Amino acid sequence: MKKRLYLELENCIGCRSCLAACTQCGGHEERNRNYVYDVNPLVNRQTMPLMCLHCVNPACARSCPAQAIQIHETGAVLSALVEKCIGCQNCTIACPYGIPKFDTEQNLMYKCDLCIDRSKDGIPPMCASVCPTNTLQWLTDEEIEAKQKQFNLDNGKWVTSMPYLEGETNVRVNLPGILQGVTKLF
Amino acid sequence: MESTISTTKKPGLTVNDAFASHFAKSMFLTVAGLAILTFIGTRMFTHIDLNLYGYMVGTIVFIGGFFYRFIAWGERPPTKIFIKKGLKLLFRKSTPKTTTEQLVTYRFIWERGVYRWMQHILIGWGCVLACLVTFPLVFSWMYFTMKENGYYTIVLFGMNVMNVKAEGIIAWFSYNALNIAAIMVIAGVCMVLYRRLKNMQARAEQTFMYDFLPLYLLLFISITGLLLTFQNMVLHGWMQPQMSLIHQFSVIVTLIYLPFGKLAHIPFRPMSVFARNYREHYSEQHMKECKVCGDQFVSVEQSSDVIQVLGVNDIEFNMNDGFNLAELCLPCRRKYRISRFSGVATHQVKVKEANQNANG
Ligand code: HEM
Ligand code: SF4
Ligand code: SF4
Repeated sequence: MKKRLYLELENCIGCRSCLAACTQCGGHEERNRNYVYDVNPLVNRQTMPLMCLHCVNPACARSCPAQAIQIHETGAVLSALVEKCIGCQNCTIACPYGIPKFDTEQNLMYKCDLCIDRSKDGIPPMCASVCPTNTLQWLTDEEIEAKQKQFNLDNGKWVTSMPYLEGETNVRVNLPGILQGVTKLF
Repeated sequence: MESTISTTKKPGLTVNDAFASHFAKSMFLTVAGLAILTFIGTRMFTHIDLNLYGYMVGTIVFIGGFFYRFIAWGERPPTKIFIKKGLKLLFRKSTPKTTTEQLVTYRFIWERGVYRWMQHILIGWGCVLACLVTFPLVFSWMYFTMKENGYYTIVLFGMNVMNVKAEGIIAWFSYNALNIAAIMVIAGVCMVLYRRLKNMQARAEQTFMYDFLPLYLLLFISITGLLLTFQNMVLHGWMQPQMSLIHQFSVIVTLIYLPFGKLAHIPFRPMSVFARNYREHYSEQHMKECKVCGDQFVSVEQSSDVIQVLGVNDIEFNMNDGFNLAELCLPCRRKYRISRFSGVATHQVKVKEANQNANG
């Protein structure tokens, strides 16, 4: 069954397990490919992970002159092919969320590939496997729909990815209720 | 829809109008060029080695595939920009150095790992060496004539370049260039195969058709090539004509496959020099300042090129706050995203982005 990465951003406690796990995925050469941010660093301790959202019409791939960024049949937007990337960094400028990382020495871009070696076989990506707070989950569309019902507060304050993102994405994001003054029921 | 036919130019006057398409023009010019070189090289077709004509046909088919693939590639908006501006910037002072690092010594692969660099040096330069010997022979641009006194004359493009002693060191290298190339490629391919079978980093993302097929093709060519020498020296030419055909066939298949798979990076890689020149040149011109923090993060040229390319693909990131996302530096863009999630203006908080390294 097809599963997706699903984010419930407000659960994040800033442990950075996802980043550590990311480095351990095969093909990641022991470097992590995503981010964890302090939301309001001088005020409170809330953090949020920032992942590649695997856009349906990915700006990174569209801007690549070398066609180095391939889109997998599962919808995952892959990291640059090592022999194709010519190091122009167009993709880093194009991505609306600033996700692709670039290594100047190696002249190579690298980005989240949803741990394609795992996720193509339905195994959750490393980050979702280790996240202790269920911020990152690996769910079927039905499960995501159930989540949506559970959290739909009927006040427009929730909930799903669109229209809050720049375009349609394969990753689903749940906007955080806590920060909008809504207590979340587990 | 915008009309693609230009009205300001009278039709029928430029060279381009003689051809049905880009493809037809490139194909015609290249084949004509090859024929002329061959005409000169063979002293008006008097020294053609017809044993090699299979390669000739293979090369022509390869050129067809090559143009088909690369013209399609060159028409993608971002590629077009880099080709156009890259050609314009070709004569920068730093071009020779960049070219050497990118296309000759592969310094950036060294940074990825010495093992990966070694395997690529062996394969890449083995193949280049083999091509430098084979193609001039195929099109008879180069051939050898024997004089009685134990000297060979190397003839290049119809000119006698030098006389070499038949037993001498230069002659030895000339006879054995292809064997040396074959051994280099076999060693390199074995290194790659070993890595692809053993190394978990490499294993995670490979597929048979994309990653292994070209390796087996190269291996097959090199082994059959070496076998030819072996048959010559040890088996007195036994089965050599058959093996020669098999070898020839494998080279032709690889040539025809080349523009379509992993090996397509070979003709495309010179673009990395274009890209480097483009970035260097335009960063010296004028840098873009981040709309939020004011850091200079990319050249104005590249920023607007990217915005334009995305526009062609119907992607636009103009925000209500009055800027395009491509105008924010990367940390600010990420923080802006967080602020859109949270409703807190994270990107306005004057704190450096948290350490994003998992090692702490
Ligand atoms: C124009 C110069 C060339 C450049 C800049 C270049 C660049 C590259 C790069 C960057 C890689 C990825 C290596 C890695 O990250 O491990 C690669 C892989 C490869 N290249 Fe080249 N290449 C060139 C010429 C050639 C030639 C002439 C051949 C010979 C057929 C060749 C065959 C290969 C093969 C077989 C691989 C795959 C290695 C593997 O499976 O790990 N390359 N090349
Ligand atoms: S979020 Fe950025 S890096 Fe990920 S697919 Fe979209 S454009 Fe590409
Ligand atoms: S840096 Fe590499 S992957 Fe990114 S756009 Fe340029 S060639 Fe493509």
